[in-house]
Amino acid sequence: MSSIKQSFRTLLIYRSALIGLVIILILVGISVYTIFAIPYDEATKLWRAGERYWLDNPRNAMPSWINLFSTKKMPETIVLDSRKPQPGVSKALIPVFDRITRIKVEFSFNYEYDDFPSELNLFFNSSFSSSSPQLTIHWVKPNGEDIVLKSLLVAKGEDRYYISNDEKLAKELRNAISKKINGTIEYDIPLTTLLFALEDSSILNPNTVKVMKGNYKLWIDGIAFEASVNLDAKLVVYGKVHGWAGTDHLRRDLGIALLWGTPIALSFGVVASISIAMIQMFIGAVSAWFGGKIDNLMQRVTEVFMVLPFLPILIMISTFYKFNIWVLLMVVIALSVFGGSVKNYRAIFLQIKEFPYLEAARAYGSSNLRILTHYLIPKILPTIIPSIVLSVADFVFLEAALAILGLGDPLAPTWGKIINDAYSNGALYKGLYYWVLEPSLMLAVTSLSFAMLGFTLDKIFNPKLREI
Amino acid sequence: MDKAHLTVKNLVMYYKTLKGEVKAVDDVSFSLLRGETVAVIGESGCGKSSLAKSIIRLLPRNVSTYRGVILFNDLNLMELDEESFTRDIRWVKITYIPQAALNSLNPVIKIGDQMVEPLILRKKLDKREALEKAAKTLKTVGISENFIHRYPFELSGGMRQRVIIAMSLLTEPELMILDEPTSSLDVLTQANIMNLLKSIRRSLKLSMILITHDVSLSSELADKVAVMYAGQIVEFNDANAFYHDPKHPYSQKLMESVPTLRKNKKLDFIPGAPPSLLNPPKGCRFAERCPYAFEKCDRDPPLVYLNGNFYVKCWLYVRE
Amino acid sequence: MIPKFAIYVVKRGVTLLLTVVIATYMTIIVANMGGYVDEIIKSDLYLSISHNIRQNPVYKALNETQIRWLINATYTNELKKIGFDKPFIYRSVLYLRDALTLSLGRALFISSDSGSKSVRMIILERLPNTVLLFTTTQLLLFSIGLFAGLFLARRYGSLLDRLSVLFAPLSSMPGWFYGIFLILLFASFLRLLPYGGMVDVPPPVDRLNYALSVLKHMILPVMSWLVAYVPINVYVRRTFFLMFSSEDYVELAKAKGLPESLIQRRYILRPTLPPIITDFSLTLIGSWMGAIITETIFNWPGIGSLFYIASVMFDSPVLVGLVVIYAYLLALTVFVLEFIYAILDPRIKAGGI
Repeated sequence: MSSIKQSFRTLLIYRSALIGLVIILILVGISVYTIFAIPYDEATKLWRAGERYWLDNPRNAMPSWINLFSTKKMPETIVLDSRKPQPGVSKALIPVFDRITRIKVEFSFNYEYDDFPSELNLFFNSSFSSSSPQLTIHWVKPNGEDIVLKSLLVAKGEDRYYISNDEKLAKELRNAISKKINGTIEYDIPLTTLLFALEDSSILNPNTVKVMKGNYKLWIDGIAFEASVNLDAKLVVYGKVHGWAGTDHLRRDLGIALLWGTPIALSFGVVASISIAMIQMFIGAVSAWFGGKIDNLMQRVTEVFMVLPFLPILIMISTFYKFNIWVLLMVVIALSVFGGSVKNYRAIFLQIKEFPYLEAARAYGSSNLRILTHYLIPKILPTIIPSIVLSVADFVFLEAALAILGLGDPLAPTWGKIINDAYSNGALYKGLYYWVLEPSLMLAVTSLSFAMLGFTLDKIFNPKLREI
Repeated sequence: MDKAHLTVKNLVMYYKTLKGEVKAVDDVSFSLLRGETVAVIGESGCGKSSLAKSIIRLLPRNVSTYRGVILFNDLNLMELDEESFTRDIRWVKITYIPQAALNSLNPVIKIGDQMVEPLILRKKLDKREALEKAAKTLKTVGISENFIHRYPFELSGGMRQRVIIAMSLLTEPELMILDEPTSSLDVLTQANIMNLLKSIRRSLKLSMILITHDVSLSSELADKVAVMYAGQIVEFNDANAFYHDPKHPYSQKLMESVPTLRKNKKLDFIPGAPPSLLNPPKGCRFAERCPYAFEKCDRDPPLVYLNGNFYVKCWLYVRE
Repeated sequence: MIPKFAIYVVKRGVTLLLTVVIATYMTIIVANMGGYVDEIIKSDLYLSISHNIRQNPVYKALNETQIRWLINATYTNELKKIGFDKPFIYRSVLYLRDALTLSLGRALFISSDSGSKSVRMIILERLPNTVLLFTTTQLLLFSIGLFAGLFLARRYGSLLDRLSVLFAPLSSMPGWFYGIFLILLFASFLRLLPYGGMVDVPPPVDRLNYALSVLKHMILPVMSWLVAYVPINVYVRRTFFLMFSSEDYVELAKAKGLPESLIQRRYILRPTLPPIITDFSLTLIGSWMGAIITETIFNWPGIGSLFYIASVMFDSPVLVGLVVIYAYLLALTVFVLEFIYAILDPRIKAGGI
């Protein structure tokens, strides 16, 4: 056992092992932090929460640090809520005559970004008894121009106006601006661009259209036909970047899935590796030690499993049962325990069995079990440890593969699932590279760190390789 | 005075490992005449195998230093380039029989085919002729001729050793270096091999360098004895002189540890362990275990010449 | 006196056959989810018969009870026709017999490009595509690994050698993973190579252009496997040859002054051929299972992607067909390899096993 300790000390000499170990420790740190900061139930609840929870996030937004590297500053999301006192937000309920209340809500903000918002939505929360208040929504550009976006009757409770989806308004604005600059906007220009663009000839070409920077105002002019009425509004100017990881098609912050993917991947990989290796080793040991019929039986069973196509059967079972990820882990372990490595371990045990000190142990009456656990297994640990570390990466990728194929746990926020979402939503065609690259990077870093550590362990523990 | 067959002067060979530089052969000198046998004696790890391999230029992958003079028939082998060395010397004039013959034969090739490789390649004999010669040579070492068609695993350890000896005789070399030729064999086979070597030596006028840790074994063949300790030769003397009167304290201890048949000797052993070749001590390397060590031993002792080329490397013999 | 070797051969043959049988049977059970798939088939049948009869104007005149009776009678008849009236366990044995004799039947949902539902046709149609892609890849991997390994084993400690050790961990990521990146880079970003598939759509008419188109589509999948597996391959071979280079008989060969090339061929390569060949053959056969994920990602019409499609659709006849072919191939390879081993290694030929 002390030789194992000494070997670990030698391990630290190798730089690649050190790097690998450090990265693994960082990953473990992330996992521990994540487990405590965002407990699993909360995370899965958030992940399944659907649009209601994530509504303030932009869709398919890139990570904010992109702005550090590009000359063109991408917009961040601006949220102005009349319920939260902020500069730029003002709300007033002015009783006019008996039973008539004037509602005035104003949102003003500075827009200095170089690119246009992805969406523009207005949310209302109102309370009144009988008739809906009538609202007129105004938009004021920095050049002072005031446009009426829409007049509407607001519904009781929660209501919304998806400004950027307003096709009619878009057409009107397009014609208005075309007339103003004496040209025709030929391309399919989104409403957000129309509302924020510089109204000159640059607007005619999607490559040259520029943002009119300055102070924007959206104000709501409303009339309610009763005294006790309340209207709250929230304006969300959706940006194109969000958070440190970006968002997906359901507006979810990818950071949560990236963080939570870490403990899931680590535990899946490590638990699978260790359990399978231990069980295989045990089977090999039993097979070698007892020999005869038991040995024969185990060998035949192993051969059957070697011929069975592991992945197809796994796919079949996953398709049918739609497993939760931990049950999947069990299935993977069950299918792998009689794998080919059993033969290798058995061969090593057969060699060790002949060692004289084992004969001595038997001579003084050690029970079979004791010999197994005290002599055989510690002898084989040095060979088994490198292979355990090296196989962690395989299992992490196995889980990712199933997730990418759409067969994994549909609810677990894993890296593979992110890639699956990305692929199903055409990330590669739409150029949303970050969506694929971020989880891939995590997968790569995890597997590389274990591989670097494992290779070095192999060098140290494998006596034949020691001088090489 | 007879011309020396082989003269080794100040031979140095170091190689690098993860733990540092191993000074395997550290300034070694000795010589022998045609037909003589030099026994190089020492404990395991003292560098004797490295010495043997250095003479025939079988250097380890990670060699860092290799210098000195090796005069063979007046030709300095160190000055030859690799190609000439391989073509003219290696296995042509000088053959080398490594330790552990058990695994020295290619397991998947027939014995005859292995034996004749150098003949076909270097001496350009045709295969049939070469095999015939191989078969005859097998006979001289006491193995049946038709073994040229067999595979190594069909032979016992002793037989394999003979095959290798036969193999090394095929090119009619002048010098044979044997590294522990009998260490993995039982006593009877050992005796057989030694007898074989004695007869070959006589009939072929072969010079031999016999490397061994077995002092008594060496006495059967040796004309001269070189005692190696921690990468250096500490005593080089005529065999008779050596066995009757070993000069260096280490040699004396070695002789004392050998049991004799008739005398009632108290067997002695040398306490301690030889120094590591990674970081040999600055002064006399044996000082730590030497019963006669004194202050002068803090410095590396010079070679004290006895008569002719023989010497002993010890402060005790330095006359002020 | 029956030679010992012959007895051994027969024993091995029987054992391997048994392995194929058991593996196939297990797949049949799993592919049918223990009979569940059959239940689906049965209920589908009932519904379609029911629908047909109710829609058929000929039976309009009948009353409800009569219609019910008619449906049930037709249903029972149909069941008997397709042999479904017996319990699943009984049928599973019949499936086993069919599968083992390679009479693979008809697919449930999948059809071949030519419209046939014969499982054998479906598989045979796609098998060459997989063989083309993966045999090329494996041959390349093998040759690069072998030559680089031999080359590096001679130059131990050199910069290249140390690099090969450094790069080995890159193989911890599977081929399909690199595939995603290659697609991202070359197809999406640079628009140089196609996203997937085997040939342009519509396929070129003349032979040369067709072949070139296939080659163009092969570039990314092959590259992804090479990038993924060359590092480990080279590392393993190099280490392997290094270990065997320090064998005593190699030492003696050097002492004999034999030329480097001869030593490589006779003293390093020859004794190590058995494990190398075993390794290669088994990997080759394994790769014909068509690296399911790689083929799916690259949309390559081979048996790997067929496996995926059949698994997801639960088309059990196709699944069983694929598995039994693979099992036979593997068992056959193992069997043949043991022969080759014996020829190459004289120690085994002599009867000691």
